[in-house]
Amino acid sequence: MPSRVPGGLPKNADAVIIGGGVIGTSIAYHLAKKDFGRIILLEKSYLASGSTGRCGAGVRQQWGTKLNCLLAIDSIKAFQRMDEELDYKRGIEFKQGGYLLLAYTQREMDQFIENVRLQKELGVPVSFLTPSEAKQIVPILNTDEMYCATFCPTDGHANPFYVTDAYAAAGERLGVEIHTFTKACEILTESEKVKGVKTNRGTVFTDVVINAAGPYSAVVSKMVDLDIPFYPERHQALVTEAVEPVLGPMVMSFSRRFYCQQTPHGSFIMGMGDPKEKPGFCISSTWQFLIETAEAVTKALPPVGELSVVRQWAGSYDMTPDAHPILGSTPCEGFYLACGFSGHGFMLAPVTGKLISEIICDEELSIDIHGLDLGRFERGELVIEPSVV
Amino acid sequence: MSSLLTTEICIVGAGPAGLRAAIAARDMGACVMLVDSEENLGGQLVKQTHKFFGSRGQFAGMRGIDIAKLLSDEVTKDSSVTVMSDSQVVGFYPDGTLAIEKDDCLKLLKPQRVICATGASERMLPFPNNDLPGVYGAGAAQTLMNLYGVRPGNRVLMIGAGNIGLIVSYQLIQAGIDVAAIVEAMPYVGGYDVHARKIQRAGIPILTSHTIKAVHGRQVVEGATVSAVDAQFCIIPDSDRYFQVDTVCLAVGLTPLTELLWQADCKMGYIPELGGYTPFRNENYETTRPGVFVAGDLAGIEEASSAMIEGEIAGLCAAKSLGYEIDDFEDRINRAKTELRVLRQGPTGEKIRQGIASLMQLREECEGA
Repeated sequence: MPSRVPGGLPKNADAVIIGGGVIGTSIAYHLAKKDFGRIILLEKSYLASGSTGRCGAGVRQQWGTKLNCLLAIDSIKAFQRMDEELDYKRGIEFKQGGYLLLAYTQREMDQFIENVRLQKELGVPVSFLTPSEAKQIVPILNTDEMYCATFCPTDGHANPFYVTDAYAAAGERLGVEIHTFTKACEILTESEKVKGVKTNRGTVFTDVVINAAGPYSAVVSKMVDLDIPFYPERHQALVTEAVEPVLGPMVMSFSRRFYCQQTPHGSFIMGMGDPKEKPGFCISSTWQFLIETAEAVTKALPPVGELSVVRQWAGSYDMTPDAHPILGSTPCEGFYLACGFSGHGFMLAPVTGKLISEIICDEELSIDIHGLDLGRFERGELVIEPSVV
Repeated sequence: MSSLLTTEICIVGAGPAGLRAAIAARDMGACVMLVDSEENLGGQLVKQTHKFFGSRGQFAGMRGIDIAKLLSDEVTKDSSVTVMSDSQVVGFYPDGTLAIEKDDCLKLLKPQRVICATGASERMLPFPNNDLPGVYGAGAAQTLMNLYGVRPGNRVLMIGAGNIGLIVSYQLIQAGIDVAAIVEAMPYVGGYDVHARKIQRAGIPILTSHTIKAVHGRQVVEGATVSAVDAQFCIIPDSDRYFQVDTVCLAVGLTPLTELLWQADCKMGYIPELGGYTPFRNENYETTRPGVFVAGDLAGIEEASSAMIEGEIAGLCAAKSLGYEIDDFEDRINRAKTELRVLRQGPTGEKIRQGIASLMQLREECEGA
């Protein structure tokens, strides 16, 4: 990824985006495409240095709520044409090998039946599989204790660094100014209206600020005195040595909390949720994760046990109480939220950029997302997603 | 789940620093586990067939390979030091647990103190085709030759005229391998005169103010282009010389192997004189993470004699911090510190003295900030 050397910060801008992950760069690109004016993106470190560059990189449409399905369907379409749309020569490494979701309990199977009905209604090409049918798709799968599986062949994964770079570069060609190593320290307001952003490298005056700060979104929201129920939660991952392709789809289990995919490069990337994980900014690795993940994944995919682990790392999920993002305006005029993705920001980045740019430009929304506004917490209208790792 | 091993002091790396640290900590009475990724103890000493300089206390006049034997015999003479060879420490976790890979299995060790003596890795140079088979670190070529008895090639171009470049060139000649030339970017030879004169007597040209521009070959190295450089190290046009060689050895410096220390969240400073990122440490060689000590090249690139003395200091102090005492503790510490001072005297020690001064200054600045 080319380094973006910080230049001088301008005095005035039409919009300032806080956060140089995949969400922030996608919003920057989509706003620039609408000719929004002078767009500034602030990143306190380098692009994709936070949750984006640490994520599991999967992209799926098999969700348990209508909203998540609709957002994901739209994003998949965007990933499919992204190389062309963003004129990204090296390619974002989008591979549609499918997602194979495994059920290990009766309750999980019942949920899958529900999910498949919903997904099919929305046009997702998903199928419900018996364990032996699942084994035909993934021959290295151990089907012991499995109840059933679901499979969607158009799910897949892409390279988060390249996707971020593609949006950033396309945005820059349209005039977006990206300032890395520039930290938003304070948001200036006047009678509950956004007036500007004070950074470690100077102040920019603007009427529009977009919070795309991922795990730091609560910190940024606090700058305009908004207490929003975002919290960071550590999730860990590991990568193995590269071998010949043997695993087409992403394999995932919600009850056993793991996911595992083979990248185009040949390495296996896998991760596991920890229900005991406490909210916090700590993203150090643990040996417990290494052992638990190795056990869980090699039980489901035994040949993976032959591989050497090359590296492990951790990142933060940007959690909300209902595991859905918060998208849109706030009581502070000019302050917009594009955060709380709860581990699914990468795959929702294309549609998020589009929708946020529509909201800011006051256009008709291409997907009805009024249920994802900030007000849902006050109204008590949470949208609970049952299918997360 | 793997079982969790415990020990009082774990020493990572059984080179000159680690071996001496193990002996010192054992002398103090501590329970020591010495872990090394290789089968043989001794680190780089096991391939060093040349005689050492340095002080008498540090085996001057002996060959590295004999020093390795002497120290490892001392470590293994009884069962007071547990040796885990062929075992690679691959992780240092925030809770102080070390992950060790042995025989394709993961072992977990939770020591009360850690002495990191992982040494250094060879630097690489960027030039076209630097990944062709036949491009070696000079140390790697030396290992092939002196440890495994394998000829690295038939005709070698050596890059770098520091001590390693000079010594390995001479050993290549001794092994009957042709050395085409030694290329050095600086306008002078960096290694000791005694080594340089041997090279010159053997009729091998040392091209100062020259650099390697590219390596050529389809599957393996077939030749290399060398160019002259000006005072700013920029290539002088039309000064290319082609050498028909099948091997290129890079002896362009070492850098501390700090991965475990980064994982342990030890604070570091970038000190070019010491080889790059170097851990902040106090005079007892304890890092900014309490209970984690360093010794040898990891604490700043120097040579085996000082590495052994640093190992002595770290071993004594790590054991002392666990409450172990011996009567001559102060004597041994003071003797070691004096020997280090003596080793670093004079013009050859100037770079090290400067590096250590910068490291200490940077540490103070960081602590003040």
